[in-house]
Amino acid sequence: MQDYRTLKLLDKFENLFCRFGIDYKIMRNILQVKLTMDGRRVPTIFSQNAKKKDQETNNQYIKSLWIYVLFGLFMIPFVLMGDNYLFQMSLFYGIFTFFSMTSMISDFSSVLLDIRDRNILFPKPVDKRTISMAKMVHVLIYLSFLTIALAGIPLIVALIKHGFLFFLTTVLSIILIDLLIVVLTALIYLFVLRFFDGEKLKDIINYVQILLSLGIMVGYQLLVRSFEFIDLSISLEHQWWQVFIFPMWYGAMMEVIMNSNAQLFHLLFTLLGILMPLLSIWIYIKLNPVFEQNLQKLSYYGKAKEKRRGKFGPFLLRIICRTDEERAFFRFAGSMMKNERDFKLKVYPSLGFSAVIPLIFIMNGFNTNLDQLSTSKSFLTVYFSLIIIPTILVLLKFSGKYKGAWIYRVAPIKQLKPMFSGTIKAFIYKLYLPVYLFISIIFIALFGVRILPDLFVVFLNACTFAVICFMVLKKFIPFSASFDDYNQNSNVAIFIGLMLFVALFAGIHYAATLISFGIYIYLVIAILCLGTLWKLAFNISWDKIEG
Amino acid sequence: MKEVILTIKDLRKNYGPKGVLNGVSLQVRRGEVIGYIGPNGAGKSTTVKIMLGIEDDYSGEIKIFGHDISDGNIEYKRKIGYVPEIAEVYDNLTGQEYLTFVGELYGLESDLADYKAKSLMELFGVGEVYHSRIASYSKGMRQKLLIISSLLHNPELLFFDEPINGLDANSVMIFKEIMTQLAAQGKTIFYSSHLMDVVEKISSRIILLHDGKIAADGTFEELKQQNTKGSLEQIFNQLTGFSEHREIGTRFVSIVEEM
Repeated sequence: MQDYRTLKLLDKFENLFCRFGIDYKIMRNILQVKLTMDGRRVPTIFSQNAKKKDQETNNQYIKSLWIYVLFGLFMIPFVLMGDNYLFQMSLFYGIFTFFSMTSMISDFSSVLLDIRDRNILFPKPVDKRTISMAKMVHVLIYLSFLTIALAGIPLIVALIKHGFLFFLTTVLSIILIDLLIVVLTALIYLFVLRFFDGEKLKDIINYVQILLSLGIMVGYQLLVRSFEFIDLSISLEHQWWQVFIFPMWYGAMMEVIMNSNAQLFHLLFTLLGILMPLLSIWIYIKLNPVFEQNLQKLSYYGKAKEKRRGKFGPFLLRIICRTDEERAFFRFAGSMMKNERDFKLKVYPSLGFSAVIPLIFIMNGFNTNLDQLSTSKSFLTVYFSLIIIPTILVLLKFSGKYKGAWIYRVAPIKQLKPMFSGTIKAFIYKLYLPVYLFISIIFIALFGVRILPDLFVVFLNACTFAVICFMVLKKFIPFSASFDDYNQNSNVAIFIGLMLFVALFAGIHYAATLISFGIYIYLVIAILCLGTLWKLAFNISWDKIEG
Repeated sequence: MKEVILTIKDLRKNYGPKGVLNGVSLQVRRGEVIGYIGPNGAGKSTTVKIMLGIEDDYSGEIKIFGHDISDGNIEYKRKIGYVPEIAEVYDNLTGQEYLTFVGELYGLESDLADYKAKSLMELFGVGEVYHSRIASYSKGMRQKLLIISSLLHNPELLFFDEPINGLDANSVMIFKEIMTQLAAQGKTIFYSSHLMDVVEKISSRIILLHDGKIAADGTFEELKQQNTKGSLEQIFNQLTGFSEHREIGTRFVSIVEEM
């Protein structure tokens, strides 16, 4: 096992850890093992050979950080903007929080909620405090990589533009925000774990993650809305609810330090910004034993009640799927999507985003005049909900229990067509349609019933788009690969290409709204398109399957 | 009489409203090889897990090496080795990395752990996969790795939960011999299994757990006298009140044949 530079850096703090009663040597061992494992998220089949050892240093996560460097560039304008620090730095920290918190939820939940540690490490003579500290440090190591990737370049720009004091304040604020994010996430999990147990709990964690992702987005909207642009100068009305938008605390801190603008309001926020992270860490340390104890609930399975099948379900299923085989795969894929947590964890938050994105675009476009809305064509933003389709189609390949896929090879499956069409139908019906209905209801409320045919066309286009994505993307057996092999950024080029299709759909749709009855013509075309593609897409033989 | 290694007094544990352990009391002396048996769900693994601190929230008292384990001091674990029934392993490590890591957790020097692990793997006939990822191991290899990981630190007290699961006949023979030798060295072994003939042969004392209570406790000879049956399997059936295997088998096959 190799030694890591990160750990050597950590060695400098050995005394600090020892003072907290942590067995540093053991913690270091645990971290070394964890980092080694993180670096190995590659298919094990290819790496049985001991000779390939030199390749093992590639950490997929570190590799994927370049995308955050890119996101970081978007933050530079807020640094350069001027000297209304409360405004610009609140936004800066807001964006930073958004990226690191979403990454925290999607990538590190597994670390925080790992119960494997419990089974492997607890029988060993290792102090529980050391184990949970190792967990914490493990998360912090990655969060600091992420932070450097995200904020590194903007910080250098800040140093040049605003000088050392500004730089120092920002660094301090970012460290405080990082701490707050880690502890906040852990505390939210703790809260959930406290009140529920068993299977239900994991579901709830799922929903909390979805809500959190959404909450961050909405919070970001509120942040922007806190400032009103009047003649290029920005004024801020102080509202009580702004206390809860914690990036503003740090914006206020910057205002106090750089502009010496020591209003009571600003001072209060600054104080909160410093005290809350420390307070939350203290709470976390106090509550951690409870957390660990409740974590145990994750492995309990209560008795489940048998669910009765309604009469409507099977009837609908008969219409959606024509053959027995297809129905079998539809039901199977449906229950996998519903029950598999690893899958839900990856997919549901993005589903949530796709429901909110169209609304946000509308809110941004029309924050002044709501009357315009009912006659405008901005309902076309509903096309943004299609963005999620390729991502989820790629994810359909993965499963936390991917090893169960041997059943596909053993079972006498002659044709693959029902497998693919059944799975895609299940995806559209069980995942996409509910989200789409949600958006539709809101849109109908906003725009009126007149857009009903349009929404119908968009849904047909979404189905067509799903089929196109399926054709373009690599073919795979559903639920047959480990999430360890999932690399978020490997498909970026294809995804961007696929987005052009969405643009095309939306463009034609816009054109269709310009001529009378255009939308009905488009409707017919859309149906024909979907019908043809559906016939063509799924004739796939075993040898075209990858992996 | 030899010294008492392990004492359990009135151990109870609930998962929700259902009691898994309903008052288990026992005492184990140095050098005993205890066969801990019982039907599925009787609470065997739970007992072991509680003793190792994987599960908490129990009532009753557990003393290991004369020390109450509920006080948070974990030093007693240093002298315990454990092979779990369903073993989670960090399986994207290689055998070498995992075993060295485990050795270090027990306070062994890295080099010593490495040397011991390598030699033991070779003796167990799996030396060639020492540097391969555990994920690529067969079931038997994995089991051998687990057995080795439980013994690296020369423990005094061993908990084996279905340790020969997946081992071939020859390896089982090696393992039985290892157990005998360990017991001769004065190690105490707590062995749970569903394979009655193995338990019958190697145990110096048998404890049968049924519905979270001890249903029988004694040497095989004692159990035979009390129950008038020949083999441990029959005693097991009798004590757990099970005699319907024939009817169930018949019904099972008749449903299989329905088409």
